[in-house]
Amino acid sequence: MALGLVVVIGMACAALLVRRLDTLRPPPDPNAIDESLYLDGKTARRMSLGFNGLAADWYWMRSLQYVGRKIINVDNVQIDSLARLNLKLLAPLLDTATTLDPEFLDPYEYAAIVLPSINVEEAIRITKNGIDANPNAWRLYQHLGYIYWQQQNYQAASETYGRGAQIAGAPPWMEAMKAKMAADGGSRSTAREIYTRMYEQSADDKVRDMARKRLLQLDSLDQRDAFRKLFAAYQTRMGKCPNSWKEIEPVFRALRVPVDASGAPLDPSGMPYVLRAGACEVDLDPKSEIPAK
Amino acid sequence: METTAAITQSITHTEPRQGKLWRIAAIARNAFREAVRDRVLYNLVLFVLLLTGASIFIGELSGGQERKVIVDLGLSAMLLFGVFIAIFVGVGLVYKEIERRTIYAVFSKPVGRGEFLVGKYLGLCLTLLVNVLVMGVGVSLALLYVSGGWDPLIPTIWPAVLLIYMELMLLTAVALLFSSFSSPALSALLTFMVFIIGHFSADLKSLAVTLGSTSARYLITGLYYLLPNLANYSFITPAAHGRAPAAGFVFATALYALVYIAVILAAATLVFSRRNFK
Repeated sequence: MALGLVVVIGMACAALLVRRLDTLRPPPDPNAIDESLYLDGKTARRMSLGFNGLAADWYWMRSLQYVGRKIINVDNVQIDSLARLNLKLLAPLLDTATTLDPEFLDPYEYAAIVLPSINVEEAIRITKNGIDANPNAWRLYQHLGYIYWQQQNYQAASETYGRGAQIAGAPPWMEAMKAKMAADGGSRSTAREIYTRMYEQSADDKVRDMARKRLLQLDSLDQRDAFRKLFAAYQTRMGKCPNSWKEIEPVFRALRVPVDASGAPLDPSGMPYVLRAGACEVDLDPKSEIPAK
Repeated sequence: METTAAITQSITHTEPRQGKLWRIAAIARNAFREAVRDRVLYNLVLFVLLLTGASIFIGELSGGQERKVIVDLGLSAMLLFGVFIAIFVGVGLVYKEIERRTIYAVFSKPVGRGEFLVGKYLGLCLTLLVNVLVMGVGVSLALLYVSGGWDPLIPTIWPAVLLIYMELMLLTAVALLFSSFSSPALSALLTFMVFIIGHFSADLKSLAVTLGSTSARYLITGLYYLLPNLANYSFITPAAHGRAPAAGFVFATALYALVYIAVILAAATLVFSRRNFK
């Protein structure tokens, strides 16, 4: 009986002490998360004793957690525009994961989508390492071509898509992308093609969501160009730019453009556009999920 | 005491009619029975199964790579804990008999020292086989659960499981060799070092090439061939990517394991034969 009481009271005291210790503990060092890795990929592989696949999984999950912890407190962030978040460890983490397991393709895709805005040289180097280790993986050429396209190096992008198209099992659109990139790399139709293929091919939900939002952004850009033409026509007729959506609402209704109660046209995500009164210009609603840039 | 009585009874009943193989089988059967009664074994196997189950949840953090994580974690746990079982049960196989003095009762019968060692070895190999099969089924069930049905990775993990089992057989033989002349603690340490160095064998070979001194090069090359080349049995990562080893490769590694185990058991028998238990 006495011993039982000791156990119960002792555990209760221990729980209270833990709660007190939690309040007294100094806050975690915000810089600790960014301390350099003490093992590079080659050393980690040598030390893994045949458990390199598991170690690669560990570094891959660390990469996802590292990015996740940084973006969790930031609103409306796109995974292909994370330059402002100081993700200096992401390249070493992905490099280590792919060195430990060169056939692990998901880190290469992540490097191609997320890294270019942080460190484009590392993104290219890691993706090229993936191509060397997996010469039959046509998707890695798609990723590398995407990086070059983002850097507006359309010639390199075209060559990369062309090399990928030669690989057995590569879909026919890789060859079409090669031609499109060479002829019209900077156009919206090329961008639309790239993001459509990315959305179709990727198994990663975050990458698909990014591609979906970029496609909505392209639709929105087309819409806003059309609105600017309407504003120009309005200005020619009325001698001024519209000051409110109500002034131009009848035109939208005639063109069957979806509008809200205030007459504001809706963007592809369903949020109303914001009119810059008297400026013949239209912006996205700050709450819209469509990326502004 | 129970084990010794069972062994001597089996041998009395089988000898002289059925001979050497029956004596070895009797010792193996009893070594298996003794090993499966060890609670540490059950706990280690249970821990591996728990880890495999946990890998389903860990996989949630992997961005859609649950199946890869299950195979990597499940097979890695199988190898690591299999190594612990091979070492800690293996070094105790002979030592326990000597410490309890039951070995005198065994050798009072017409049982050769080599037969005794081989029987003990085969008994532990049978134990490891059962453990590895249970763990392999655990990984397969986890894959079935995550995939919601048949998973094409299931048939590819079993050749990797076979290679893991062959590696464990090799390490068990090494543990038995060390335990035939050394204390259990030292035997366990030496066997674990062989496990580590065995996985560094590719580095040993490249080190030999880069060394300037001829004698050092010969020494390192000698070590490369002397120590078991365990890196050949590591097929966990390719299995997680759906690749199975070629049949020729599996055959060659099996032959290597067979030859190496025969050499180690012969060396162990040589050492053990000269040992005086008085």
